[in-house]
Amino acid sequence: MRANILALIGKVVVIVFIIAASIFTLSPILLAVLNSLKTNGEIYTNILSLPEKIQWNNYIDVFQKTNYLRSLLNTFLLVLMSVSGIVFAASLAGYKLARTKTKLSGLFFGLFVMSMLIPFHSIMIGLVRVTHDLHVQGSLWGLAIVYVGIGSPMAIFLYHGFTKNIPKEIEEAALIDGCNEFQLYYKVVFPILRPITATIVILNALWIWNDFLLPLLMISDKNRYTLLLSTKMLFGQYTSDWSQILAILIMALLPIVIVYIFLQKHIVKGISDGAIK
Amino acid sequence: MKNSNRILLIFCLPAFLLYSTFVLYPALGGFWYSLTNWNGLDPTYGDYVGFSNYKELLGDENFKQSLLFTSKYVIYMVILQNIIALLLAVIIESFEKTKNVFRTIFFFPNMISMIVGGFIWLFIFTRVFPYLADTIGLMILDESWIGNPQYSFYSILILSLWGSVGYLMIIYIAALQNIPKQLLEAARIDGASKLQINWHIVRPLIANSITIGVFIALSTSFKVFDQVYALTGGGPGRATQVVSLNIFSEAFAMQSRFGYASAKAVVLFVLILGITLIQLLVMKRKEVEM
Amino acid sequence: MKKLFILMSVLVSVFVITGCENNEDDLREVELDVFMSFPRFQEQFEDYFELFEQKMLEEENIIVKINLEMPSSDTAQQLLQARLSSDDAPDVYTLHAIADIPDYYEAGYLADLSDAEFTNSVYDSVLESVTYDGKIVALPLESLAWGYLYNKDIFAQYNLTPPQTLSEMEEVVNTLNANDQTPFLLAFQESWIPQLLMALSLGGMINSEEPNFIENMNSGTGSYADIDEVFGIIDLIMENGTERAFETGGAAGSADFANGEAAMWVQGPWMSGSILDVNPDMNIGLAPLPVTNNPDTTMINLSTSTSLGVSPTSENKDIAIKLVNFILDAEHSSDLFAELKFNPLSSVHTYDTFPWVDEAMAYVAQGKAYLEKGLPNGVTDETALMLQEYYLGDKTKQQVIDAIDAAWQSAIDNQ
Repeated sequence: MRANILALIGKVVVIVFIIAASIFTLSPILLAVLNSLKTNGEIYTNILSLPEKIQWNNYIDVFQKTNYLRSLLNTFLLVLMSVSGIVFAASLAGYKLARTKTKLSGLFFGLFVMSMLIPFHSIMIGLVRVTHDLHVQGSLWGLAIVYVGIGSPMAIFLYHGFTKNIPKEIEEAALIDGCNEFQLYYKVVFPILRPITATIVILNALWIWNDFLLPLLMISDKNRYTLLLSTKMLFGQYTSDWSQILAILIMALLPIVIVYIFLQKHIVKGISDGAIK
Repeated sequence: MKNSNRILLIFCLPAFLLYSTFVLYPALGGFWYSLTNWNGLDPTYGDYVGFSNYKELLGDENFKQSLLFTSKYVIYMVILQNIIALLLAVIIESFEKTKNVFRTIFFFPNMISMIVGGFIWLFIFTRVFPYLADTIGLMILDESWIGNPQYSFYSILILSLWGSVGYLMIIYIAALQNIPKQLLEAARIDGASKLQINWHIVRPLIANSITIGVFIALSTSFKVFDQVYALTGGGPGRATQVVSLNIFSEAFAMQSRFGYASAKAVVLFVLILGITLIQLLVMKRKEVEM
Repeated sequence: MKKLFILMSVLVSVFVITGCENNEDDLREVELDVFMSFPRFQEQFEDYFELFEQKMLEEENIIVKINLEMPSSDTAQQLLQARLSSDDAPDVYTLHAIADIPDYYEAGYLADLSDAEFTNSVYDSVLESVTYDGKIVALPLESLAWGYLYNKDIFAQYNLTPPQTLSEMEEVVNTLNANDQTPFLLAFQESWIPQLLMALSLGGMINSEEPNFIENMNSGTGSYADIDEVFGIIDLIMENGTERAFETGGAAGSADFANGEAAMWVQGPWMSGSILDVNPDMNIGLAPLPVTNNPDTTMINLSTSTSLGVSPTSENKDIAIKLVNFILDAEHSSDLFAELKFNPLSSVHTYDTFPWVDEAMAYVAQGKAYLEKGLPNGVTDETALMLQEYYLGDKTKQQVIDAIDAAWQSAIDNQ
């Protein structure tokens, strides 16, 4: 009997905890949405109430001033190009590094992995300089190439770990069947790497979608701004009007929230697949 | 050259080319700047000054302060991030139907840019908290969450945890799901309590994931920038200035001493490298013992 | 086969289209990258540059496309520096006349504009502030007659006039406090704002009682301890200010000031626009800040801040210079400057000045004014952070003095 009561109390505590944690997690976003639909005056008088009259104007303003669809398309293209580049370059390297047991492969792998610890600020100026000298600055594809360079090490690390755990026999059989190295990679290995590829796509897409500093340094043409960039640029214009600022923030979040709602199962699965190598 | 090495080179070429152009070369450049007195503007990159920037670092109180502050942040983050993530993972795994709902909720903030998340929390700290304190009388909220360094440390912590716990939670959930069910079943039949099962069976089996979790928490929180930048900008004064922000302001504000700032960046890199290496060695050895 | 045909026809049409464009070689096309740290004036400058594009097309048959980049002020400096040092300079960009011109000029990022048309109409006193090494290197945009701001209605309500000495200021503060009116607005979230306290009071000291201060500092014999009287007024302001100073930034501060939360604000006329946005009927006053009981230290600061420079490596330098000249265009410039609430600085400016400018000019006419002098790089930033910590109580007066002295010394050593 006592054990039952204790178990019940335990259960109640756990449920209360998890609900409190959920509220803590979601309330900032919900409060932001709520107040973005008010006038700035209402925010000062009552922050928790529903808006007296829904102020869509805040959103319409943002939509026009940020050239929203254009920046959305830019961001999408940028993520698409960068992520395909990372998958291509890193799967080739990560797979072969795991399959080659020479000193050179150890050296390469160490070099790649080490760079995951370099703080971005220490390569920043040098990076801007290189991109300018190579004439890749200012364009989305140029930025994508840079992302492939910076993003590959982590992806190589993940591909490397995944490849180690798949049996060699399939590849050996294919080689006996007369495949050359590249056919082998393309026809046999890449399909096997699919689960970890999904993880890499998700992680890198999230990173690049949400990155701010690199696009800021590399892109100066307004027509090529990413979503976060055009969002941040709008900030300077409204510095005290919280309803306007919140509308800007929500608009910046919207695409990723929609993607998350529809793909959350795959996203979460992709990330947990990457966790257990 | 061995044939296998030749093929390896071909396979690594695209990644290595871009990596060395956009990471390695600029990083070496950064090391070179750290040996000069370049001000970030001079097109001839200033003069070679040997290791004098590094010598100066030894006496730089502000840099030491920022290292201390960052260390405090890292310790809190590594412990709290992992404990909370593990706790959430264990609880959620014990649920049946609502498992997915909660997993989705807690991972959600990880989808958001910390710049955007930071501004949303700035709104919460500077508008919502004072409002709640005034109207509902939650006096614990009536503090200067941004302006008082004692509290703004916790504001930064709250924002960081909010934005990062979900990722580790997913990792721990995956680890828990990987434990063979029969093992737990057998222990339960043998009369082991829940705590005993968790401590003697689950813990050793997820040790590898804990190593990963600590590694991720360590290496990301040492580099923390966005969260502090968005909330306090390092202020008031230098009260919440983390190392990356100290480097940043040395390079782009103050006297724009880019060479000196680069020396700080090199030191930060060596520190992160050293600490994560030690952590991996120690924890890997522990894993084997368990 | 059909696919090939489609492909061919697409290719052909592309050639035809591009060919057409190439034929019109009598029309020059120019792209100008303009970098400005004025996000709050984005719309005004966009409109103004459109006028320029029209003018160039009509008068000179040149198609000009201006890419205006307006990053928020917290990223502007970093961004501009990254662009310049990576050899990717914008054609035209804003910089601070007193703080930035020496470094930027020495590094070779400023074109010589001595022969540009605008130099003929700008007042000599202003032109002097953008002259370096005997050359005019930038177009001045913001020329300032600077003191603290006060709310004229509140002053009138309690029969107060702007005090001329520290003890008069104390009386004003006492009167306001006795009437439950907060004397000073404190908006310290952005560190450059508390720094203004030091800038104004230091300026008053070194242009009256301590004329050798900068010289002594540069030679290593001076110290901020020599002018520690400035802490009299700084303490008075900090002890009699509004609350939650670190959660109030410049914009929120101007809203509070416009709503009468405090009677005085140590800020500058550059805030008048955002104050009037919140309360268009506000009566803004501007007065020199008293530092000690010697009225000679109470002076207006004359300076030039934001200016516009041209990159010497610009591929279209001729057009870039035309754009800079157009900022002081006889026909349009007055409207722009009046709308931005900038002070007139050229003979082409014919708009009515603002009441607070007239008020400041009255002091200038009495000789109670000085020209701003530049401090070594980094000293201002260090002062800014130190004053935040001083207000917080984390640093004592002596620690503030030591830290600023050290920053000055280090700037000299690293030159």
